[in-house]
Amino acid sequence: MSSIESPSAGQGRLMASGQRRLRLYVTMGQRLLRDSLLFQILLHDEVELVGESETGVATLNRLKRATPSVLLIEENLQDNDGLTIAEHALAVNPSLSVLLISDTPVSSGRMAIYLEAGIKAVVSKDQPVQELIKTLFYIRNGQVYVGNWQQEPAPAAMLAYQALSGREREVAQLMASRLPVRDIAGRLGVSCKTVHSYKDRIFVKLGFERLPELILFMQRHQHGAAE
Amino acid sequence: MATSGAAEILLRYDDDQDRQHFETLFASDFVIHAFATDQGALDYLPSAATIPTAIVLLPNRADDYLESSLLARARDHHPRILKILIGDAIALNLLVKLLDHQLVDRCFEQPVNPDVIRSHVLTAALTREGQTFSPDTSEAHEGPKPAILIVDDEPTATRYLSRQLERMQDEFRVLSAISAEEAQLVLQKDSDVAVVMTDQRMPGMHGKELLDELRQSHPTIVRILTSAWGEVDVAMDAVNEGRIFRYQKKPWNAAELLSLFRKALVQHRTLVSARDRSRSIAEQQFAELRQQRRARLLEHLNERVDGFTGEPITADFLDALATVRTLPAQPPHLRASRETALEHDLVRDFAGMVGRQLSTLQPGHVHGIQNRQAFDQALANALENPAGTSETQTPLMALCQALATLMKASGLERSALELTRTESGLMVASASPLHMYSHLLAPITRLSRPLLEQQSALLMLFVSTRLLAGDIDVTGGDQCLRLSLHLPARAD
Repeated sequence: MSSIESPSAGQGRLMASGQRRLRLYVTMGQRLLRDSLLFQILLHDEVELVGESETGVATLNRLKRATPSVLLIEENLQDNDGLTIAEHALAVNPSLSVLLISDTPVSSGRMAIYLEAGIKAVVSKDQPVQELIKTLFYIRNGQVYVGNWQQEPAPAAMLAYQALSGREREVAQLMASRLPVRDIAGRLGVSCKTVHSYKDRIFVKLGFERLPELILFMQRHQHGAAE
Repeated sequence: MATSGAAEILLRYDDDQDRQHFETLFASDFVIHAFATDQGALDYLPSAATIPTAIVLLPNRADDYLESSLLARARDHHPRILKILIGDAIALNLLVKLLDHQLVDRCFEQPVNPDVIRSHVLTAALTREGQTFSPDTSEAHEGPKPAILIVDDEPTATRYLSRQLERMQDEFRVLSAISAEEAQLVLQKDSDVAVVMTDQRMPGMHGKELLDELRQSHPTIVRILTSAWGEVDVAMDAVNEGRIFRYQKKPWNAAELLSLFRKALVQHRTLVSARDRSRSIAEQQFAELRQQRRARLLEHLNERVDGFTGEPITADFLDALATVRTLPAQPPHLRASRETALEHDLVRDFAGMVGRQLSTLQPGHVHGIQNRQAFDQALANALENPAGTSETQTPLMALCQALATLMKASGLERSALELTRTESGLMVASASPLHMYSHLLAPITRLSRPLLEQQSALLMLFVSTRLLAGDIDVTGGDQCLRLSLHLPARAD
């Protein structure tokens, strides 16, 4: 799968051609989930958080002043239906890209209705956070993005992990235990530069971009939480 | 066309290795029918059980496909099939020509991002994007003359071209802007812009970005990108993402542009009439659906609600809802009503929720409320305990519970209610309008708990006000309503 262009690689190209920043507005009822998501999303420096709300009414009240380019909104909100709020947001600002977060995967019939209603993408709470972030970048210019949402994602990272060399696995394990590069180099008796090149190779092979992804993957794997 | 199974792709390849690679990438997403010749594909098309969603071309030499009988046939006879060209290197001239002849809809260079290809095909399978209307070749309609807007940061060239074009014809006006930002201002002022031709390289917002935005904000404006630079990647993005009508190379030639703009105006009229037709059809058909829904709601609620109060409350409630204006009906609303269980579930779930609420309500009329303190206390309780309780409710408790729910749906606090003592009792009115973005008689794409709760709260407000021998007045506005209740003081 070497031909897959990672969203951030595509990002670099788009940025070079005078790309606007991704101005994000987030509407999610629960603070804990909103924070967890934002911690991940804001690691990408093209993203700027221009506003957030817990409710649909507050979103519509603030949206005009915040001028976001992307609205990330939960389908099920406390006060109003998220989709109805999104439809009203689009009536006010048709160039807004809306990403809807559903509780469960949606059927293709429902997906068709959402797309026709002007929603750019739907990600369900069953999907990994990487899928959400990838989708966020795909829809930023007003594009529709439909992933293979009904299929079980292939355990790509797992297969890729098994294909790592012994030394690479060793480095991955040490990195996942949050050991600094210098200490890893010392322990393996190699230079820091070598450790960095192992690190780069591991990230490329596993399809990760950031250390937290590797840590989560390794710990899940080691403790058998992942199947 | 909502597909039940996987979408089908007709693959036309030259090199067997390309076919294998493509199948490795997409075999789990799509059913792929591969052909090494145009004739093979052409023979297959008429006999196919389902018309494929997309034709994907993997040519050795992309230029050969200008003469492709497969592409011409798909264009002329199967306008809904998405035509995707994937080449090793795409020359700008080829892309411009393919676009002129409408032979391809999307164009990519290897290596492709499988996510993007998959998304384009799945989207085509799910939406009716390919739905085409016969071009509207009727002469320009009555009314103001349409305008062509040319956006370029070299005002001298634009001015010269505009003057030439103005002299050559009397069908359209020519406007100009020296930046994307100025173009947006022009578009705000002039609602008759039918075509925008923009240069790609400009200080500030680039042409491609402007066209991306126009595609969302002004979908009936025909978009043309122009450039002196042969940036094929920009052109491809503009085709794939911006869905441009044509790519016009510089330097400009007035005669060539005149014919291009004439074609673009026909396209614009086609888009406008398609939009108007689909809008009026949607509104008409929804009006029927609304009647049916109203009748079914009455049928399911009449006995229970009106029986409870002894008055025709349900009809009053539905009449009040009908005064609240929501967004106009669109095709997806019709689709939701017809292709999903929405209509059935709406009536069932609403009647069920109302039934449950009525069952906890103390039956029988109570004439009036004791005093203002009693009302204040009941309202404070309801606001503190929004979930409500299953214990038996007095009409006053039910009324306050309903008010609390309606205020929560509008993000309003207690202070948004104005209480006035009158000679005969208490007036309760909303100081600012209560939001109502959707309601039982509005176009709906999805049934949600907040909607049902808000709607049943309004009905319970009607019921409990009547049980207290009071009056309720609802005035609808744009996605909102104003409420005023008059509750008589108890005689004792």
